[in-house]
Amino acid sequence: MTAADDQADVEKVIAGDISAFEGLVRRWQGPLVNLAYRFCRDRGRAEEMAQEAFLRTYRSLSGWRRESTFSTWLFALATNLYCSELRRIPARTSALDDIVEPRDPRAMDETYEAEDRDRLVHRAVFALPAKYREAVILFYFHDLDVAEAAASLGLPQGTVKARLSRGRDMLRRKLSPHFAAPELGREAS
Amino acid sequence: MRDQELDAILSREQDIAPSSGFVASVMEAVGQQATTPPPIPFPWLRALPGIAAIAVALGVLLVTAFGVIAREPTAQPTFLELQAVLATTLELAKTIRAGWLALALAISFVCVKLSTHLAATSENR
Repeated sequence: MTAADDQADVEKVIAGDISAFEGLVRRWQGPLVNLAYRFCRDRGRAEEMAQEAFLRTYRSLSGWRRESTFSTWLFALATNLYCSELRRIPARTSALDDIVEPRDPRAMDETYEAEDRDRLVHRAVFALPAKYREAVILFYFHDLDVAEAAASLGLPQGTVKARLSRGRDMLRRKLSPHFAAPELGREAS
Repeated sequence: MRDQELDAILSREQDIAPSSGFVASVMEAVGQQATTPPPIPFPWLRALPGIAAIAVALGVLLVTAFGVIAREPTAQPTFLELQAVLATTLELAKTIRAGWLALALAISFVCVKLSTHLAATSENR
């Protein structure tokens, strides 16, 4: 998967060879579907949103000004679509306060398997307010790269860092009661 | 909960694989998109004189109405006064042939809607 391949396919599509678009879809279907899935947690809807993102990409190909790589432009377009789509029809989320806090955190820590912990954390991310959730999702989707997340969101890096920090604070505060007290102690020391 | 823990959990998100027919489905949609003619834009330029005429009529109507009310600033407009304003408005509408303008605009709107609908229907067949 190279930027040169993307550029070559884009040139062909713009010249009228629609079949060249298939190369772009094959290369980017995984990332686009997965990004959509992280936003909505619904496989069917993720594929629908990714398909719409590809359609928009096709319609806007001539608008790609080559100032950034094709992938950066593609992710920005898809992120914009996913965010507005989820604002239009929100995914099924639970409010952050709806996550039940355990009476005895230590007891919960013993019983939580890793899978349950992961699920709980993802649920908490999903319950964050949209602007923090979007920053958190994109930061981890782009392998902890703030610059890439900022480019996808079309926001300055400073804004994304601030949202990320606030989002993680909210997550820590909400999730702390679910995890063992000794870990919190270790963190403080 | 520590940042490293949070990073570890959120970074090991399991990827899902797109369904086998995904590429074909996208390419089919792209093919349809490629053969669909661009939508017919609303003829704003042609509608502009009508819109301007309506704006002028509304302006005149408001000025007339305020003029009638301002003549007696202390008194509340009575039913008869409102009736007089309405009569003036109707007279004005007759003078500038607002009815014909409205009819022309309505016919234009229906024609545009009908043609775009027919074009869309024939493309979907």
